[in-house]
Amino acid sequence: MSFRARILIGLGLIVLFPLAVFELRVRADMADRLTAQYQRRVASLVAVIRADLSRDSAGIAGRLDALKDAIAADNRFRLAALQGTDRAYLLDYAGNAMRFTGLAMLQIQDEQGRIISSGHFRNEYDRAEPELPRLLATAPGGTALLEARTAEATLLALARVDALRLGGRRLTLVGGVAVDSSFLARLAPDSDLAVSLTLPTDPLARVDSTAQVVGTLAVPFVGLRDSPGMGEARIVVTHSLAPLAVLRRRVDAAFAAAVLLSGAIAVLLASWLSNWISRPLRELARRTAEIDMERLDIRFESDRADEIGALSRLLGAMTERLRAGAARLREAERRIAVGDLARQVNHDIKNGLIPIRNVFRHLLEAARGGPDRLAAALQDRQGTVESGISYLENLATNYARLSPQPAREPCDVNAAVRETIRRVADASRGALKSELADALPAVRTDPLVLRRILENLIGNALDSLASPGGTVTVGTTRGAGGDGGRAVVRITVADTGRGMSREELNRAFDDFYTTKPDGTGLGLSIVRRLVLDADGAIRVETAPGAGSKFIVELPGEGE
Amino acid sequence: MIRPHHQILLFGLLVAAACGGAAPRGELPPPAPTLAPSDTACLIAAGRPASRDTVTIALTDPIDPAHAPLPRNVAERFVFAQLYETLIRVDCRGRVLPALARSWEQGPEGRWTVTLRSDARFWDGAPVTAQDVLAAWRARDSSLARAVTVPDDRALSIDPTGLSFQRFADPALAVTKSAPGGGWPIGTGHYWTTGSAAGAEALRASPVPGAGLPALKVTVAPASEARDAVDANADLLLTSDPAALDYGRTRSEYQDAPLGWDQTYVLLAPDGSSLELSALRLETLPQAVHVEARPAQADDGGFWLVDLKRCGLAAEAPSTHAPPRRRIVYEQADRDARDLAARLVGLAALGRGAVVAGLAPAAFEPAFRSGAEAAYVLRVRRRTVDPCAAARELPAWVPRGSITPLIDTRTHALVRRGLPRLSVDWDGAVRLVPR
Repeated sequence: MSFRARILIGLGLIVLFPLAVFELRVRADMADRLTAQYQRRVASLVAVIRADLSRDSAGIAGRLDALKDAIAADNRFRLAALQGTDRAYLLDYAGNAMRFTGLAMLQIQDEQGRIISSGHFRNEYDRAEPELPRLLATAPGGTALLEARTAEATLLALARVDALRLGGRRLTLVGGVAVDSSFLARLAPDSDLAVSLTLPTDPLARVDSTAQVVGTLAVPFVGLRDSPGMGEARIVVTHSLAPLAVLRRRVDAAFAAAVLLSGAIAVLLASWLSNWISRPLRELARRTAEIDMERLDIRFESDRADEIGALSRLLGAMTERLRAGAARLREAERRIAVGDLARQVNHDIKNGLIPIRNVFRHLLEAARGGPDRLAAALQDRQGTVESGISYLENLATNYARLSPQPAREPCDVNAAVRETIRRVADASRGALKSELADALPAVRTDPLVLRRILENLIGNALDSLASPGGTVTVGTTRGAGGDGGRAVVRITVADTGRGMSREELNRAFDDFYTTKPDGTGLGLSIVRRLVLDADGAIRVETAPGAGSKFIVELPGEGE
Repeated sequence: MIRPHHQILLFGLLVAAACGGAAPRGELPPPAPTLAPSDTACLIAAGRPASRDTVTIALTDPIDPAHAPLPRNVAERFVFAQLYETLIRVDCRGRVLPALARSWEQGPEGRWTVTLRSDARFWDGAPVTAQDVLAAWRARDSSLARAVTVPDDRALSIDPTGLSFQRFADPALAVTKSAPGGGWPIGTGHYWTTGSAAGAEALRASPVPGAGLPALKVTVAPASEARDAVDANADLLLTSDPAALDYGRTRSEYQDAPLGWDQTYVLLAPDGSSLELSALRLETLPQAVHVEARPAQADDGGFWLVDLKRCGLAAEAPSTHAPPRRRIVYEQADRDARDLAARLVGLAALGRGAVVAGLAPAAFEPAFRSGAEAAYVLRVRRRTVDPCAAARELPAWVPRGSITPLIDTRTHALVRRGLPRLSVDWDGAVRLVPR
C-alpha cells in the first residue's frame, strides 16, 4: 500500500470515525428522548380518555335520569305500559326519547327483561333480554361497552342501566352513546395519535411495538352473542414512530452530507499532505533507483532540515562511499582479471608447447640415430609442430582480441578426437584408447574450442592414472537431446584412475581447484565454460577408486 | 321526477292487471248499467260540481309523467285516473261501468264486440278510433292485441279466450298516444295537462270542455308535511300518515274516508332459505309499521300471489340454491317494508345475526331477480284481475320459494266537505266524476 493511500485511509478514519460515533450517539439519544415523550403523550391520552369515558358515563346517567322523570310524568306512556293501550306510542317512545336525549341506543325493558320499547331497534319489541341490565349493573363504574343489535347491523355502545318504578312495576332503561369511528377519532387529538378498540371477540391483533408506542385502557364489555357474560375490551392508544423515523432520516441525511464534505476535505488534505511528504521521497527513490555500479555519480544534496533532508544527505554519503568502494573493487577486479588471464595464457601456452617439446625430444632422439632418422622423424612430426604452432598462433590471436568470438563451423568430432589422441600419443604411453561411433553428425563450434575441450579432458584423464596399466578411453556416440529429440554428439573420456570423492566432485569445476601438485586448477573450469559456450552440457560419473567418466554432449547439426 | 323506465317494471307489472274485483272470469258482464244519481255506494264526496272552480289535491308521493298511464303509487294512481281512460271502469263494488266503451255485447261466434263512445276524443281534439285503441294495446300487450280485430272505427272485436272482461279496466290498457316532443302522453280522460307546475304544485289539470268538472291543482309534499296541506285548506288529501290523519280528524271541515285495503306486504324467500316463520307471532306485525295495517287477509278466492299453481308456474320454476347472505332486503324508499323487515329480524326469523338491508330501486330489482338474498319484503297490489299475467313477471324462483303475506295496508282520503263527486274504483283509484 502506498504512503499516499495510507495517509488517505488514516485521515478518512480520523475524520469519519468521530462523525459516525457522534451520529450514532445523536440517533440513540434522539430516539430515547422522543420515545419517552411519545410514551408520556400516550399515557396522557389514556388518562384523558379515561376521564372522557367517565364524563360520557355521567352524561348518559344524567340523560337516563331525566328520561326517568319524563316517563314518570307521561300518563300516555303509563297507560300504554301498564294497560297495553296505545301500543304504537309505546313502541315509538324509546326512539323519540333517544333522539331527544342524544343517545344512540335506548331500550326499555320490563321486569322479565322483555323489551317493551327500543329506540335503536324499534321492532325488536317483546324480545326477552334479561341478561343485559343484570350484567350492566355489575359493571365497574356502572358503564360498559356492549354490542346492541339493530336491524341493519350491530351497534357498539357505551351504555349504562337505570331503573324506575311505574305502577308497581320495575322498568329498566339501558341507554348509551355510540362508540364508532367518529367517537374514537374524537378521542385522538392529532394525527400522530390513533385510538382503536379491541373487543374480546376480535381476533388477537399483533401490535408492532417497533413502529409505534402503545398504551391501553381496559373497559368492561358485556357480551351477549353466544353466552352472555362480562368481558374486557381494550381501548388501544398508539403513537406512530413515523415522526421519529423522519427525524432519523433527516439526521442521517445531515450526517451523510457531513461525511461527504469531511471526506472531500480529507481527500484534499490527504492528497496535499501525501504529496508534500511523498514527492521528495519519490524523488529520492527515483535517484536511488538510478544508482548502479556503472553510475554512482547521482547527487543527493538537500537543504531541508527535516528527516527527508537527513535521509537525502545520508544517501549522498552512502553513494560517495559506494563510489570509492566501486573504484577499489574495479581495481581489484582488474588485477584479478589480469592474473587470471596470465594464468590462462600460461596454461594454454603450456598446452601448446607440450607437443612441440615432445617433437623436439623425439627429434633429439632421432638425431642420435643418424640424419636419416632425423629427417624421417622430422617429416613424421612436422605436422605436429605445425599444428602446435598454429594452435599457439590462434591462441595469440584470440588473446589479442581479449574477447574471443568463437568462429563456429561444422566440426567432425571423431576427427578432432583422433587428432588430439595423435598429439598426445607420446605422453600417453599406450594408455589411450578410442571407441568412436560411425556416422556422427557434425557439431557446430569453433574447432579450437573443441580441441581445447578434448585436450583438457584427455590430459586430466592421463594425469589421473596413478599406476601403469591404467587406461583412458575416449569414445563418441550419437544420442538424442532432451529438447524434442534433436541429435547430440556425446563425447566420453573415461579413465581408470583413482576417481573423485563427493567433495572433490563438487569443486571439480571451480576455478583454481586442483588435486595435482603442479596443476593450475583451471582446466576443468575452462572446459565447462567452453562447453556451455558451445550450447553443450558436461557431467561427471565418478567414485573414489573407480575412475572418472566425463561426458560432454554437443548439439549435432541438421536433422 | 323522471326515473329510468326499467325501474318501474317490477312494481308496474305487479299492479298492471289490477281492477275487476271479484267479477267472474271469461264472462261478459251485463250491459253497462246507468248509475242513478242517488247511487252513492262508491262516492266519498257528493257535492255539486259548480261548488268549486278549482279543487286542490294534496298528495304525498312523487308523480312521474314517464310512468303514465301505469301508476306506481297512490299519487300517480289518482292523477293518471283523471287524465287517462280505459275501455271500462270497475267501481268499488265490482260493477263494470262504461268509460271509453259505450257498450259491449257478445257476437254470434262468441267474440266480444265493444263499441266506443261516439264523443270520445284525445286532448288534442282528435277522435278516438278503434285503431287508436289497438295501437295503444299493441304497445303494452301484444298477445291481447292479436286477439283483437277492428271491424270499423268505433268497434273492436275481441276473442275472449283466456280473458276476463275486467282486464279492460287495467290502467296498463288505458288509451294514449305519444305527445309530440315528449312529456305527458295524450289521453282521453276528463282532464288534460301539458306539463308540471313550479314549486310544490306538481301540476294543473283542466277539464275537457263539457265535462262540467272543476280544474285540478295538484300539490305534492312529503308525508311528514301532509298536515301542512290540511292547514292550507287542501280539498283532498290522500295519505296513510297516521299523524296527518289524526290531525285532519280534528278539523270539522274534513271527513276521513278510508279507501280499500289495496296493498299487501309479502315476504318472499327463495327455495332453500333458512327462513323459519312457524313459531313467530306474525299477528304483531301491524304494530311494526307506522301506517294503518292489519294482518294480511285473503279474499274468498285466496291471495293471488300465493296460489300460483293454477298458472302452471311452479312446475316450470327452476330450483335455486341456498342464499348465501342472511339478510332481508327491501326497497330503500319503502319505510313500511323496512319496518316489517326489521320486525322479522327482531323476531329472529332468520336466526340470530341476520340483518336487514335497504337497496335503492336500481339495485333492488336485480337483487330481487337474482334471488341471492335470504328473503325480500315487497309491496304488491292486494288484488289483480289477471294473477297469472302478473305472476309471470315475477322472478323464476318465486313460485318455488316461500311466499308469506304479512300485512295489508290502505290509504285514507281526507275530504273537505262539499267537494264535487269523488268516486272510488275497485283498485282504490279516486276520480272526480261528472254528475
